[in-house]
Amino acid sequence: MIVFAANLLAPDAGLIFWIAITFGALLFLLKKFAWGPITSALSTREETIHESLAQAEKALAEAKQLQADNTKDRREAEAQAQAIIREAREEAERLRTEEVDKTRTQIQHLQESAQAEIEREKDNALTSLRQEVADLAIRAAEKILRENLDADRQKKIVDNFLGDLSKN
Amino acid sequence: MNGRKTPVDYNMMIKKASIFLLFVQLAFMAMPPVVVASEEGEDFDALHHSANAYYLDFSPFPKVELPRIFVVQYEDGSYGLELFRSTTSAIRNGHYTVEVLHEESGADSTATESHSTATELGAATTDETLDDDAAIPLSELEGHLLAPAGGHIVLDLSISRHLFFAWLSMGIVLFIMIRLAGMYKRGIGRDTAPRGLFQNLFETLIMFVRDDIARPNLGDKSDKYLPYLLTAFFFILTSNLLGLMPFGATATSNLMVTVVLACFTFVITQLGGTKDYWMHIFWPPGIPTFVKPILMPVELLGIFTKPIALAIRLFANMTAGHLVILSLIGLIFSFANLFGSGAGFGVAPVSVAFALFVYLLELLVSFIQAYVFTMLSALFISMAIQEHHHDHDEAHHESSEHPAAHA
Repeated sequence: MIVFAANLLAPDAGLIFWIAITFGALLFLLKKFAWGPITSALSTREETIHESLAQAEKALAEAKQLQADNTKDRREAEAQAQAIIREAREEAERLRTEEVDKTRTQIQHLQESAQAEIEREKDNALTSLRQEVADLAIRAAEKILRENLDADRQKKIVDNFLGDLSKN
Repeated sequence: MNGRKTPVDYNMMIKKASIFLLFVQLAFMAMPPVVVASEEGEDFDALHHSANAYYLDFSPFPKVELPRIFVVQYEDGSYGLELFRSTTSAIRNGHYTVEVLHEESGADSTATESHSTATELGAATTDETLDDDAAIPLSELEGHLLAPAGGHIVLDLSISRHLFFAWLSMGIVLFIMIRLAGMYKRGIGRDTAPRGLFQNLFETLIMFVRDDIARPNLGDKSDKYLPYLLTAFFFILTSNLLGLMPFGATATSNLMVTVVLACFTFVITQLGGTKDYWMHIFWPPGIPTFVKPILMPVELLGIFTKPIALAIRLFANMTAGHLVILSLIGLIFSFANLFGSGAGFGVAPVSVAFALFVYLLELLVSFIQAYVFTMLSALFISMAIQEHHHDHDEAHHESSEHPAAHA
């Protein structure tokens, strides 16, 4: 019986030759056309992701800062508005009180001047009334006396009358 | 914790298993080729399925013979390149003869005896084939060919089965990676997220080699060695997996292929060697001077044992699995021969179940060995390119500090 089994460990220069050449070629081709673009693309992507994350973090920090600033500004604005409103209210209150006081004094003044006017007018009226009455009495007495008495007697009567009148 | 621990345990298990398989395989190699005679009288050779050959086996379909290329030195001393479409063609048209080994003859006497029988058989074959076109028996195609009278083959550049599958896996890797590179060039995966199963799958593997093999070992120099590591990883992985395909053969189960791969690692390692690296080999620092001459040859030997271990590890792992599967299947026929066909049928389910288990194990081993080869290559390269900071450096620092202290 003939057996042709090849030995597993038999040296095979031809195979070594081919594999060395073709594996070298494979290494070269892959390095040039595959690994270069692939690894550079992967590192580019990694950098992009890294940068994007950093940017996002930065943007988030900025947004937070902005929000904090906004909140602060709004609080300040609110506080300011409150202060303005309070001031305005106080001012208004003050003005009102002033106005009321002024009006009150004016009214007082007016009252007082009106009182004085009334007094004066009353005095005037009394005085003129008295003269009018005196004239009337004199004229009346004249008429009576012309009719009845002489002038002296009439005068005496009128004086008495006048004396009574002032007592009233 | 558990998730991290299990792979280590697996690794250990695989290592133990592969050591066991290696022993099985060594036992096979120590024996003369194992021949199991089946009932039909055909020979079943467990080794020849794993061994190299010059045809593609598509049994039960016809075998496809591969081209034979020879660098021949003729009788008059001149050299020539001879190409044949197939082994059959080489025998018929080129008057090549088959080197025959007699089973009866011992391993020592085969070399001397082969020539005489070869010429006899060669003459017979050529006579036959000149008459009719009958196919040359396949068993003869597995032997080594001898050049026609007077000449001898200097270099057999024939496209063998393992070479064919090595080229096939190179072609597959080239095709896949250039397509993948095309996607990245178009911006998919560079400016956007990777798209689709194809890109995600291979990107994961590439990232694995880069982030878990190259970078931890080589650090900032990883970019320089990454192309080699990636090429080795994908070539080995594809070759390993092709061997698990139907009609496939494992190129990495050929010692020649793994030796070439290891040589690449070896050359790259030595080219990258720093002053410290050579210093550690030829004048190891930090030890008494009289020990240094003893250590030097050991260190020098260490340069070569590393790639040799790489080559043998990959070869043995990829061969062992196939041999075990074949042996398990062979058990069926052995039992049938020894105890009758009933025993053969009885053993069959067990054999097939075990073979399936070993097949799955091989699938795992395919990945593990691709990883291990790449990992160790990276490790060896990193050992060579490292700038060491050992005792001698410290001593140097001290000596340089002393004058400063005195001053």
